[in-house]
Amino acid sequence: MQCAANTKNQGCETGYCMINVAPLPRADAAVPLIAFHGVSHMFGNRPVLQDINLTINKSEFVCMVGPSGCGKTTMLRMVGGLQTPATGEVTFAGKRVAGPAREISFMFQDYSKALLPWRTAAGNVSLALEANGVPTGQRAARIKDLLGKVGLANHADHFPVQLSGGMQQRVQIARCLAQEPSVLLMDEPFGALDAMTRQALQDEILRIIQASRTTVVFVTHDLEEAIYLGDRVVALYPNPGRIAQVFDVDLPKPRNQLTTRESPSFLRLRRALFDFIREGEA
Amino acid sequence: MSIAARGLWLLGSIGVTALLVLSWQLIANYGGIPPVFLPGPDRAWSALVAGFSGGELAGLTGATVERMIYGWVLASLAGIALGAVIGSSQVAREYVAPMLEIVRPVPVSAFMPVVMAFLGLTGTMVLVVIAIGSIWPVLLATVHGVSSVEPRLVEVSQSLRLSRFKTLWKIALPNAQADILAGMRIGLTVALILAVIGEMLTSENGLGWSILQAARAYRSADLFAGVIVLGVIGLVSNLALQSIERYVLRWKRR
Repeated sequence: MQCAANTKNQGCETGYCMINVAPLPRADAAVPLIAFHGVSHMFGNRPVLQDINLTINKSEFVCMVGPSGCGKTTMLRMVGGLQTPATGEVTFAGKRVAGPAREISFMFQDYSKALLPWRTAAGNVSLALEANGVPTGQRAARIKDLLGKVGLANHADHFPVQLSGGMQQRVQIARCLAQEPSVLLMDEPFGALDAMTRQALQDEILRIIQASRTTVVFVTHDLEEAIYLGDRVVALYPNPGRIAQVFDVDLPKPRNQLTTRESPSFLRLRRALFDFIREGEA
Repeated sequence: MSIAARGLWLLGSIGVTALLVLSWQLIANYGGIPPVFLPGPDRAWSALVAGFSGGELAGLTGATVERMIYGWVLASLAGIALGAVIGSSQVAREYVAPMLEIVRPVPVSAFMPVVMAFLGLTGTMVLVVIAIGSIWPVLLATVHGVSSVEPRLVEVSQSLRLSRFKTLWKIALPNAQADILAGMRIGLTVALILAVIGEMLTSENGLGWSILQAARAYRSADLFAGVIVLGVIGLVSNLALQSIERYVLRWKRR
């Protein structure tokens, strides 16, 4: 985000800085990949989002955190074209998002519901290839490659019920990658997994994303996860959902589960985010 | 269940069957019922053996099974196709549902005279009646299965931009497969019943017709032989469908 970058150049020693409104991109500036322009939304009479302005650049990893009811999932669904904002608009590559797009892949939290239970791991990955019209002859090799990438090479013939939660979520990652998306939207993807599996999948996602330069928008309620994964962390206030603060994450890459989490700037950010969330709840 | 326990169950069920057959024999021998009405299992068995060694009974069985399967396949295909169309469209469901609810409870026997008026007492008429009667379980099951897709999977298909047809083919219909198979199993039983009734009415070649003939001629052993064959047809077809079901729905087992 331009504002964040500017503020940092002026000497933002803490590694994060406060912004209220993101400026709309000027005509001559590079068009941001994803942008929220004055987005507000209601569910019935309840306002869930209020005047959201946010831009996300290509190859950025943006995490959205906030208590439940802050509209973070709704924002993600708007980028994915699964929900249309009541006011304002969301743009992707300069065009208004009017529905799901092939370049944008959505990964759901509830992996057990998001996979086709009657298809094997390979069959589930195949669904994305079939949707994209990949010829039958080319699918097998692609599926093998994708399942290998997420460490499921030996489980291609297993049905979802035969796989653990972590493995099922890996299948969903492979299916999303099969779409060859330029944007990956992830809705609390590791929320239901145990701590060890979660850390393993965090590193896997970072590794895969690094190679493909995919833009990621990642919703989580785990603050440490947000700092560990993100280039930026967007913190939201609830009722109605508003962007409260955007934190720039100044941690070297590749990240490491031990050293990154022990580094002073990680701990400083963690403290800042915790304080911030507590304020929001007070 | 352990192998020993399973063996014990099997032994028990065989014992019960043996006991029933034995009491049937005793009633036939000493119950005072004239043998023109009730043959013992011994006579029914020899009628069965004689019928099959002469080839006649095999021919009749073949004719009835063929009729049953043709009508059932016809009903299943039509039921799945129609159910898919109705189930995948909210509008179609709202328009068609009330009519389905009126037509469904009408006994097929009430349709028979109507079909007879158009097609006469022919094999085609029997086939049509079987199809009309056994379409309902499949049709209603398909409508239910196709329209009850997990909402998250609907979003997955939206997110992947699957076309309406691809969503039906790759998500809604597979989602309905358990319902469809259960419906087809009920439909098969209905098809067997209607095949027999149809043959009785039209004198088309088959077990239904031959049972009626045997009854009219007081050939009680032949009558019972026919009934036993019908029972076996029902048993075998149900077992066959069950094993198909087990294979198709293997993704449900851990």
